[in-house]
Amino acid sequence: MLSALILIPVLGAILLNLLPKDWAASRFRQIALVLSSMILLWTIVLAVQFDPNNVQMQFSEFLPWLPTLGLDYALGLDGLSLPLLFLNSFLTGVAIFSSNRDIQRPRFYYGLIFLLNAGVAGAFLAQNLLLFFLFYEVEIVPLYFLIAIWGGGRRGYAAMKFLIYTAISGFLVLASFLGLVWFSEATTFDYEPLRQQALPVELQFILLGMLLVGLFIKIPIFPFHTWLPDAHVEASTPVSILLAGVLLKLGTYGLLRFGVGLYLDAWVTFAPWLAFLAAVSALYGALSAIAQKDMKKVVAYSSIAHMAYVLLAAAAATPLSLIAAMLQMISHGLISALLFLLVGVVYKKTGTRDVMVLRGLLNPERGLPIIGSLTILGVMASSGIPGMVGFVAEFMVFRGSLPIYPLPTLLCMVGTGLTAVYFLLMVNRVFFGRLTEQLSNLPRVQWGDRIPALVLTLFIIIFGLQPGWLVRWSETQTTALIVEPSLRDTLEVPASVSQLPLDP
Amino acid sequence: MVSLEQKPRKHHPLEVYIQRLEQGDALLKDTPDHVLEVVGILKSYGVVLDAYSRNLIYIAEHQFLNPFPFFKYFNGEVSLKRLLQHWGHDRINYEYAEYCMKSMFWHGGGGLDEYLDTPEFARAAEKAIQGKWKGNLFMLTLHKLFPDFLPEQVRVMAYYSGLGQFWRVMSDLFIALSDRYDNGEIQTIPQVVDHILQGLVAAANKPITYQVQLRGKTYDILPKSAGLTFLMDTAVPYVEAIFFRGAPFMGTISYNAQAYQIPDEQGAFTYGALFADPLPIGGSGIPPTLLMQDMRHYLPDYLHQFYQNTIRGEDDLRVQICQTFQKSMFCVTTAALKGLAPYPFTTDNPEEKAANRQFLKPWMDRFIESRLETANQ
Repeated sequence: MLSALILIPVLGAILLNLLPKDWAASRFRQIALVLSSMILLWTIVLAVQFDPNNVQMQFSEFLPWLPTLGLDYALGLDGLSLPLLFLNSFLTGVAIFSSNRDIQRPRFYYGLIFLLNAGVAGAFLAQNLLLFFLFYEVEIVPLYFLIAIWGGGRRGYAAMKFLIYTAISGFLVLASFLGLVWFSEATTFDYEPLRQQALPVELQFILLGMLLVGLFIKIPIFPFHTWLPDAHVEASTPVSILLAGVLLKLGTYGLLRFGVGLYLDAWVTFAPWLAFLAAVSALYGALSAIAQKDMKKVVAYSSIAHMAYVLLAAAAATPLSLIAAMLQMISHGLISALLFLLVGVVYKKTGTRDVMVLRGLLNPERGLPIIGSLTILGVMASSGIPGMVGFVAEFMVFRGSLPIYPLPTLLCMVGTGLTAVYFLLMVNRVFFGRLTEQLSNLPRVQWGDRIPALVLTLFIIIFGLQPGWLVRWSETQTTALIVEPSLRDTLEVPASVSQLPLDP
Repeated sequence: MVSLEQKPRKHHPLEVYIQRLEQGDALLKDTPDHVLEVVGILKSYGVVLDAYSRNLIYIAEHQFLNPFPFFKYFNGEVSLKRLLQHWGHDRINYEYAEYCMKSMFWHGGGGLDEYLDTPEFARAAEKAIQGKWKGNLFMLTLHKLFPDFLPEQVRVMAYYSGLGQFWRVMSDLFIALSDRYDNGEIQTIPQVVDHILQGLVAAANKPITYQVQLRGKTYDILPKSAGLTFLMDTAVPYVEAIFFRGAPFMGTISYNAQAYQIPDEQGAFTYGALFADPLPIGGSGIPPTLLMQDMRHYLPDYLHQFYQNTIRGEDDLRVQICQTFQKSMFCVTTAALKGLAPYPFTTDNPEEKAANRQFLKPWMDRFIESRLETANQ
């Protein structure tokens, strides 16, 4: 069942490239939309059949691939991967919907998006460390091409920078996995058996250190972040949506799955430093965002700040903070996708993202009033205004982390306050005031530009009002992460997050 | 040999527009699109003015000193259906007409304003007040206590009537223009201006009078003997108040009198139709919006089609209507200037030309800040 989530996009990518070259781009877009709907539908089918109270992997698939290497085709679904899988399927649909109808080389473009989707889905499902690494590397290739071909003026530079950084990231992750298997003298890279490893803590430090640096590049965490703003600025809107919404989550997913899951002993020692690093990254991202003049860079730096909260929550490693980390991933995925989408529409209609040039776009007749209103809503969600998913996620992160790491948590809270500062600066400059003369003849906004943003907004509000619908998928699994594997079968599953202990 | 260089002649910043007038053209450039826009918008304006004018005259005559005029916009047809339509906002925004009336009343000027301060008017008003509140001790006592209040309300009523009569003429004039355009008689902007000028000249001496019927008795508030006429006593004050000065409308720009953003002199106000910024309209509570909303229902098909072919199509209809409306108002202003100028602008006589320039200078100075150049882009 799970393989379908990898097979449909891969076969879809092949199918698209076999179709006649001279078809109109919009036709390929329609086919891509049908395929992405199938993927989303299949994810929903899996979610319906998923048992949130089961600690074990569900829908597991196992196929020995290269037994001598310890590489198995082992897939499984649990509460950590399901929400992210849903995010991947959903945002792929959003990205395809918001792609330019007349895009150049449409077969290759949509094919790459599906390969990216397959790579990310595979990484979230993989239950074998080598298999995870393969998928983790595979998604770099389509993303490299998506930036390098359909990107902006400095796309070559940005794509190459992305490639180098993420390749190093992959190398470090692989080195950590190889070390783990080598030193624990395991015969396989399968995830579950490796959780039982009892390596000396000093060795775990080294292995976890390599893994963390690899994942920090991906998330990205200061000071490994420099590829991200460049990649976002040069990438087209749909690619930015996928990059911020899904790709970065591979890093934070890796933190929970492998950092906490495999090296819990070393993790506990590293955690205070990680919490401080999270605070530094959050403040650095927020302060950098204040200084930006490009709307996309503001959102990109905001991403850096908001992803740091996941690290803070993961460092605290309480049952509540781990669910909070999951929730923050979903929240950031939805909100950053919305903001990149809206900045994309502003750019498409005005031809600029410069906050010093844009002004008065909220004008009801000649501006972009609905896009402007949704942006205001998006930045409110990002700043953690109650009623939207951003508030729930950030509140849970801080509530879960404060008892463990009060100072880093307080610093991160300052970062949240700064979110309001940089986003209000942006919104005030871009949307308020009188529309300038050079912007007073903007083309009209089509409903096609608004629908994906409206759908994302709907999710942000629904999950903000009813966070239980998100939490229920992951709470069992996140709690199980910090329990010794041998004790997990006797784990008392909490009925709801409110019953979870707040202290470690 | 000594050569005397001629002193460089000082040109007015809007010299090009002065020359345009001297060549027989209008302040608005003569292009086929401008003709279509101006005639089309004046057609819909004519329809709306007709409704405004009827309502203003209805209020003046039938809601005279009514302390609670709940149904003043109903023109006497009070029914549940009308009330529901009113609440559902399926109606003409008569409020706009009242804003214009109040703006005229506030800025004053012309014979009507002067007459309202004469003892004759005070006597006539007193008679009407006594007639209205005959036997009502409460109101008559209040009138005794505050003797200035009700006469001021009668002055307002006189302005209701005056603006109503002015717009009556203008409405017919604009509809006739549209009919002539439909017949192919109007093809250029100078012809549009000429049509308006002829209409103004023809109605120039039309008397402005106001009687009100109370309990079967007629009260002459603005009698014919006052000698008030259409052009000098309503049209010119109207142009001054609505086209030039206007009122600092809420919502368009933040006017802060304490920060000296509003001129001390009422005459230096530049918030009129020729200066209005069309862009911010569309928000709530901004009076010009009401006029644009009303006009959008009566746009001729050709003009509606013209707007739909623009980049935003139907989305910014009210902004486009406002921009076109400003263009048309520059044509009306041209006609008014032509009517008021001492000599025809096209004269070749240097003395007459100099006199015309003398006449034009203060007007042109005021246009510097206006939307004249934007309208011509």
